[in-house]
Amino acid sequence: MLFNSFEFLLFFPLVAIVYFILSPKYRWLFLLVASYYFYMNWQPIYAILIFTSTVVTYLCALKIDSTPVKSRKKAYLTTSLIINLGILFLFKYYNFFNDSIFGLLTDWGIRMTLPNFDLLLPVGISFYTFQAVGYTIDVYRGDIKSEKHFGIYALFVSFFPQLVAGPIERAVNLLPQFKETKKIDYAQAAQGIKLMIWGYFMKIVVADRLAIYVNSVYGIPEYHSSITLFIATIFFAFQIYCDFAGYSNIAIGCAKIMGFDLMTNFRRPYFAQSCAEFWSRWHISLSTWFKDYVYIPLGGNRVGTTKNYRNILITFVISGLWHGANWTFVIWGGLNGLYQVLFKILKISPKRKTENTEFNFIYIGNLILTFVLISFSWIFFRANTFTDALVIIERMFTVAGNLFIGDKSSFAYSVFAIIVLMLKEGYDEFFPNGNLFFKSTKKSVRFISYSLVIILILLLGVFDGGQFIYFQF
Amino acid sequence: MEGSLFISSSNLMKKFILNCVIGIIIVFVLDFAVGESLEYFYFKQTSGFQYRTTYSMEKTNEDILVFGSSRANHHYKPSVFKKKLNSSFYNTGRDGNFIFYQTAVLKSILKRYKPKLILYDFTGEFNINQTDYDRLSSLLPYYKNHSEIRNIVNLRSQYEPVKNFSRIYPYNSTIGNIAIGNININGLRTKDKNGYVPLYGEWKEPLKMRDIIKFEKTDKNKINVFKDFLSLCKENGIAVMVIVSPVYYTYDKDYSLELCEEICNEYKIPFFNFTKNQDFLESPYLFDDVSHLNDKGATLFSEKVADLVRED
Repeated sequence: MLFNSFEFLLFFPLVAIVYFILSPKYRWLFLLVASYYFYMNWQPIYAILIFTSTVVTYLCALKIDSTPVKSRKKAYLTTSLIINLGILFLFKYYNFFNDSIFGLLTDWGIRMTLPNFDLLLPVGISFYTFQAVGYTIDVYRGDIKSEKHFGIYALFVSFFPQLVAGPIERAVNLLPQFKETKKIDYAQAAQGIKLMIWGYFMKIVVADRLAIYVNSVYGIPEYHSSITLFIATIFFAFQIYCDFAGYSNIAIGCAKIMGFDLMTNFRRPYFAQSCAEFWSRWHISLSTWFKDYVYIPLGGNRVGTTKNYRNILITFVISGLWHGANWTFVIWGGLNGLYQVLFKILKISPKRKTENTEFNFIYIGNLILTFVLISFSWIFFRANTFTDALVIIERMFTVAGNLFIGDKSSFAYSVFAIIVLMLKEGYDEFFPNGNLFFKSTKKSVRFISYSLVIILILLLGVFDGGQFIYFQF
Repeated sequence: MEGSLFISSSNLMKKFILNCVIGIIIVFVLDFAVGESLEYFYFKQTSGFQYRTTYSMEKTNEDILVFGSSRANHHYKPSVFKKKLNSSFYNTGRDGNFIFYQTAVLKSILKRYKPKLILYDFTGEFNINQTDYDRLSSLLPYYKNHSEIRNIVNLRSQYEPVKNFSRIYPYNSTIGNIAIGNININGLRTKDKNGYVPLYGEWKEPLKMRDIIKFEKTDKNKINVFKDFLSLCKENGIAVMVIVSPVYYTYDKDYSLELCEEICNEYKIPFFNFTKNQDFLESPYLFDDVSHLNDKGATLFSEKVADLVRED
């Protein structure tokens, strides 16, 4: 079930109302059933994979906790990792590695083949697998105790607001919340509704609108001029942000209405002044996951300079691969890792903006440089193939020509949507204590502001067939 | 203690529900006001594709009507038909709209009058393609007042009747076109001639072979709606010809065309396929792109069709 489907608009209020009406004793069970129903609306059979991941991590964590022997703890952790990452590999990466390795061997004259599997990628598999694996590692490290209640643990893995596209939650934050008796909290519920409304605006008005232009340009880059490819790339930077941050906002908003606090996943990343800062504002739940479970175990920055650079690159390449089984994603990840390393080598690490930061040319320059570098990397992320990415880059700097507009109205809506987005984001960034529109002290102004956002969604939203990009990861 | 907690919780719940109701009322009022304005200006347009749909559904009274997508719209030139057949003529073709749209428009027309002849330009595919359903959004402005098209528009989703409670929803993403249609600035729109919009480009690339379009799964809705179209014409005693207009590519097999011909035979409707006509395949200068004739091509093609009508 998609958040931007009519079904979800019926499903969620019903779930929230029943959740609060039910006796607290049975709420976890109700949420668990609702979460599986939510997932099974897409491809029922793949619920087995979530269940398998749940059972394996639950049992392994119990065993890790109960055995005092270090080597056994490690064996249980390894079992959990092999099974979970094995499933992920089989469904997401097998064909990619099969094609890549045997393709390479064929190039060297060695003819060997293994059949590819014709498997549909289970929605959200990377998200729930990482959440479940993170839990097992936390138990192994002794950061948390294993969860004894299987139902509560199953709910932790499958909680519907964040099941298919995050935020990737940590057990230490989310698990205890399922045991609390939630009462309706007016402020929290109101905040949840506001987040959902803005999330829908980001997804339906901005991301899906920009997708129309981006898809038509990136679909046949060999026919487009430099200016068109530049505009399409900038549009994609906003599309991917609004697609994913929009989803996160809706997810966090849903959870908030029911009294749950999920972690913040995006903090206006395009206001970052360096690539390092960008990654502290973009997909925070994944970035911190990689930091805690990959980068730091590799040695993080507590090792020599060269090894630190290696650790950064490895982490980003894996992060790229996490996003998709394609060399374009690997290069995207590697490129972002390279940015970090280069910035470190060149000692360019502007301090994060604080309220007292002067808004001057250096600030604007850093902001633009970061945006340009990040947008450049998005070319690899969005291009259908590596060859297409190269064609785009080449044409960006060599092929003059007119700007392709496509449908004029749609193009105008795209520009308008970005302006509205940036006005709000800019205001939130630079005036965190401001009191205009959404933050007005007057309730009537806040009401009208959010109502106008809903009207904009109805007026300019794209209601047809918009999937969330991150579902494929 | 528990009692006071319950009271406070229940008060908060009341406050929350009250505020939700206030929010819903504000949205409802705004939706009504904006939606009504959009409706007023939508139907006040005097040019453009939205106006042509309104004209097709609500004002046509011509003897001959053309139905189809962009290929119909750019291929059938009214002046040729008027001259050769001495009949009034209107081209209802609309870019990117296929079988569903055409049948809905016909249903609306038949509520008012019966044209003498319908030329159906077949372009659509009988494959399952979600886009064809999404494009039914072009009929949403007529959903309220044209009950006859609702069962077709409802193919978009089962929730369409509920969604149409919103007054803005039918006009989603149309505000730009409505504005241009009302401002009427010269040059912003190509003027149509009885629905026909000429193209003036000239194709210069060589003739190419097109890949066989994979026929994965037949969309039964499309077949049924296409059959509905033919049945409606027959029931109302309207002469109909199904025509596939020229293209500038070659192909081995097109399953949709074969199926279309089969259905026409079943209904004893004349079917003419111009996609392999050498006059066009040897003349790239008659095309604007591989699927669309330019004005010169449209003139030649219209003459050929008018001759066929006369013969028939």
